[in-house]
Amino acid sequence: MRNYGYSEEGHQGNIKDVHLWRRILTYCRQHAKALWSAIALSLLITVASLMLPKLMQVAIDNFIAPQTSLDLSQRLEGLRNIIIGYGILVGIVFCGGFTQVVLLEWAGQSIMDHVRQKLFAHILTLDMYFFHEQRVGQLVTRLTNDVQNMHEMFTSVMVTLFNDVLKLFGIFCLLYYMNGRLALLMTVFIPLAFWLTFYFSRIAREKFRKIRTQVAVLNGFLAESLTAINIIQVFNRQQTSRQKYFEHTSEYLKKNIEQVRLFAKFMPLTDFMNSTAVALILWYGGGEIIRSQLSLGELVAFLSYMRLFFQPLRELSQKYSIVQSAMASAERIFQLLDTSPRLKDIDWSAQGAQHPIDGDIQFDGIWFGYNQEVPVLKGIDLNIKSGESVALVGATGSGKSTMIHLLARFYDPDQGTIRIQETDVRDFPLKELRNHIGIIMQDIFIFPDTVLANIILDQPLDQDKLRAILNQTGLQSFIDKLPKGLETVIGEDVKDLSVGEKQLLSFVRALYRDPTILVLDEATSSIDVESEKMLEHAVAASFRGRTSFIIAHRLSTIRKVDRIIVIDNGIIVEQGTHDQLMASDSVYRKFVNFDLQKQPFPS
Amino acid sequence: MSLFFSNKNTDLQSVLHIIFPLFQKYKIRLFTGFFALVCVDLIQLVIPKFIKHGVDSLAQKSATSTSLLWLGIIIISAAACVVLLRFWWRLLIIGFSRILEKDIRDRLFSHIVKMDQPFFERWKTGDLMAHASNDLNAIQMACGMGLVAAVDALVLTSVGIGFMVSISPRLTLFALMPMPLLAICTRILSARLHTRFNLVQEQFALITEFARTTLSSIQLIQAYTLEKMQKQGFARLGKKYVKSNLNVAVIQGALFPASTLIGNIGMLLVLYNGGILVMTEVITIGEFVAFITYMYMLIWPMMAVGWVANIIQRGMTSLRRIYRLLNEQPIVIGGTGTFPANQISLHFSCRHLSFCYPETQRKILTDISLEIEPGHLAITGRTGSGKSTLCKLLLRMYPVERGCLLCNQIDVNDLAVNEIRKYIAYLPQETTLFSETIAHNIAFGKPGASRLEIEEAARAAAIHEEILQLPEGYATLIGERGVRLSGGQRQRLALARALVCKRSLLIIDDGLNAIDVETEQQVLQNLVSSKNYQSIIIVSHRINVLQLADNIIILDQGEVAAQGNHSQLQEHPFYRAMVEKQQTDA
Repeated sequence: MRNYGYSEEGHQGNIKDVHLWRRILTYCRQHAKALWSAIALSLLITVASLMLPKLMQVAIDNFIAPQTSLDLSQRLEGLRNIIIGYGILVGIVFCGGFTQVVLLEWAGQSIMDHVRQKLFAHILTLDMYFFHEQRVGQLVTRLTNDVQNMHEMFTSVMVTLFNDVLKLFGIFCLLYYMNGRLALLMTVFIPLAFWLTFYFSRIAREKFRKIRTQVAVLNGFLAESLTAINIIQVFNRQQTSRQKYFEHTSEYLKKNIEQVRLFAKFMPLTDFMNSTAVALILWYGGGEIIRSQLSLGELVAFLSYMRLFFQPLRELSQKYSIVQSAMASAERIFQLLDTSPRLKDIDWSAQGAQHPIDGDIQFDGIWFGYNQEVPVLKGIDLNIKSGESVALVGATGSGKSTMIHLLARFYDPDQGTIRIQETDVRDFPLKELRNHIGIIMQDIFIFPDTVLANIILDQPLDQDKLRAILNQTGLQSFIDKLPKGLETVIGEDVKDLSVGEKQLLSFVRALYRDPTILVLDEATSSIDVESEKMLEHAVAASFRGRTSFIIAHRLSTIRKVDRIIVIDNGIIVEQGTHDQLMASDSVYRKFVNFDLQKQPFPS
Repeated sequence: MSLFFSNKNTDLQSVLHIIFPLFQKYKIRLFTGFFALVCVDLIQLVIPKFIKHGVDSLAQKSATSTSLLWLGIIIISAAACVVLLRFWWRLLIIGFSRILEKDIRDRLFSHIVKMDQPFFERWKTGDLMAHASNDLNAIQMACGMGLVAAVDALVLTSVGIGFMVSISPRLTLFALMPMPLLAICTRILSARLHTRFNLVQEQFALITEFARTTLSSIQLIQAYTLEKMQKQGFARLGKKYVKSNLNVAVIQGALFPASTLIGNIGMLLVLYNGGILVMTEVITIGEFVAFITYMYMLIWPMMAVGWVANIIQRGMTSLRRIYRLLNEQPIVIGGTGTFPANQISLHFSCRHLSFCYPETQRKILTDISLEIEPGHLAITGRTGSGKSTLCKLLLRMYPVERGCLLCNQIDVNDLAVNEIRKYIAYLPQETTLFSETIAHNIAFGKPGASRLEIEEAARAAAIHEEILQLPEGYATLIGERGVRLSGGQRQRLALARALVCKRSLLIIDDGLNAIDVETEQQVLQNLVSSKNYQSIIIVSHRINVLQLADNIIILDQGEVAAQGNHSQLQEHPFYRAMVEKQQTDA
């Protein structure tokens, strides 16, 4: 079955949008040579394939038909020459066709790859304001399906559009050249065929859309049933699920049969037109022969051209809907490319002034909310001295992580400034700033490669530095426990790391980058006891002499820090050392007592 | 064609038996359909005869405008017949293939819901989904368009060749000379196309996955300034994708022009040799023209042969996979035994119960002897100590050996699988809800539950108030297209679902861990005091939950390390360690 064009939420592009076309064409410029060659090949193929019936006509009229005045050997000679010509043309059509397909695929894919890379690179420069609003699934669709859609246009559409339009045009010229009146008669079929195919493809698209929706329903139900199979079985609901599934499949069958019926109605009609055209040619053209206005060979050629005539018409209408959906995709892609980040990055090389980054951090009257109405931080004032270790404690949603987001400048505060070494964080280039802040996040990004590769990432390999870090933090024992140590391939040698191991890995990863400021956002889900102990030890070792933050979810890990800061509802409510806070009737003490109740199982 | 039968493991007859009854059931429909198809082919082959007649009469100057008009009318009416017949065969045969698809799809689903947990460990959701879509599509294609094209090609080829032979056997030979080449060509090329195309799909999946993982960890990527590394990774994948697409294009580029090429070579041979035959007056010019028309007709069935072979082969492979799936049998097979009519409480006895998951060696439970009497039981222990497994065995999700697990003094293997489950409500570790309304989700435990019962269950699960705060209350849709609930809300909803059916045993397999401690304790206390349940079995790590139980079992590496109530266990090193850890932390 043909794809009548992928479309999102039924959106169709506007084919007449000139700006969009111009912008698409700018991407083609790099491959202009290939594209022009493909078009030239199109011309060549069209001319050659149109010459074939013409040659046959000449052969029949001049040499084969018995009423010629030539003698047999001359006729044979002539036929032979035509055969050679025919053979050459056949060769040209084949080679041309092959080259054209490959050339266009290459150009199309390269252009699309360019668009995809550009889009990907662009998305990576966007800020968290943007990602906060966007769903990942939709962005991925832009990069994959939408780009793929645009590509459809380059290979199937642009070629066939050129080929078919040229062919139709060529056929008409030849028909008019041979016999104007007969050609005029054939012209009647054009609007008819166009109307029929457009009408058809419009309905077909609608039917396909319905089928796709039903497929989604069907698959959704199946996936859900499979994940919930134990519930279905324990509650003994197999029969109900079956009935529901049967309802969905019946609906699917109904939609499919509707589609089959539609195709059954329309598909034979093109051939009917073809036959009607043949009948007309025979009747009217035959009359022309009787009236000696047309030769027999020309009539035969007319008949062959008619065969060539209907196929491109059918193709053209199908391509129309592909172009439409490609345009819609292009529009969405360009829209995304036109989105610019709200965070303004600065460039030091342009300014000439460079500020050093050190560990002195100052939060000065910070107000911030992810959306304007609901502030998360309500006036945070905080000074942290270089080398100090600080723990942020508070309930979920109190604003702990948000402070870190602002420090690493994922967002800018609505009011107030954050300074590092007396310099506003907005005056550092993002890359510079973030290179100095090592954040160990809850969301841990592991890619299928060796543990080593996962640690060093884009940094150069420095064995000594790595060894020093591992020894210092005691994490060498974590590495030793992996089947092949640093060379363990995640996804191959071990299926996956546990939450605890992942956190340890990302800890090493952060230290390897040698950050001035270290931030640890503890995993919320309980990690295994062994990893937790290792982590506690490593934290203590690496916090020494470094400005460090820990966002603690398990309070047992933070007793050794220099200062504990308790945040509630976006405000700093108390700060002090563990002992100081425990000695008074503090919120912190309540936290500690409450936390004890949900201790995980000890070892 | 030997490729059709390459896999000897499952014998062809039994595989075909999946679809055979359907062919039998719809034999009149199919017969009519194929009859219409053959008629279409025959009429199409006759039309060139009329054209030939017309051209001949023109060449012999015997044609008049009336005779030509009649000819035209005949051709148009023949074409009209073709339209009608085509409509019918499409509706009948392609429609049949869709019916067949639905039938197998339904059978597959009915089969899958009957399977047990060991089956679902072997067949992952993704695989099953793939079978249900790709394989069924392939079978539908083979039984629909595949069959049509096969019959079509067969009829057109044999009759077309027959006609050609009747005009000139010699010329037919020339015309057909390159044709086998075409069939072979398409066969080889399209098979290769298939594998290369699969590669493209894989690459596409890789790109999608790369983009997805990058974008979902975007904050980390930006924090570590890994943008450049990711761009390079993406570019590498992009290059590979372009390359594998080009590999496909090379074949595609060859495939379609190749058919034109070979068709044209045949035409060339006919033109030359036929020309000579006309010149030597062996055949008439009209016959020559008709011959050429037949030749054009043969190009399509010749191309179709390769295509059909591929489609049918793919269909057979898929059918074989479906056959394998349909032949899977559950290992957990119960007897026919049932409990006495007014049985309400369950009393399990484990006698030297050991268990390891199918196809693994590691023992999860070792030699467990245990009486689970009506009452409130709590199970605790380290991750992997076998707590969940024990629950699942009670639920008959996995097979147990004879004599090791008794329920009310009857061996569970003698009881119908459903018989035990009838009395158990279950709250698993991973909460699964359905994309339906909240009321529907709760009533899943008891279809036809009244609004009152649903609300009562929701109250008991401490979720009622929160449901009322949702935009549409109990009618709120949840899941992808509805409201997203928090983990704790989902768990409490699942609890309400378990509570609504008021079964005598409630098993909570660590299914409330996302709820805060106080709420959990309160909910459990209410459950215990409500006396609605003869038994509650709860797996938990939380001490305050364990405290509530009449009996606590500590599992360690698949063995019962200790049991007793909270005060009795104080002296046990495990339990004491737990309490001590609390004290040192304070």
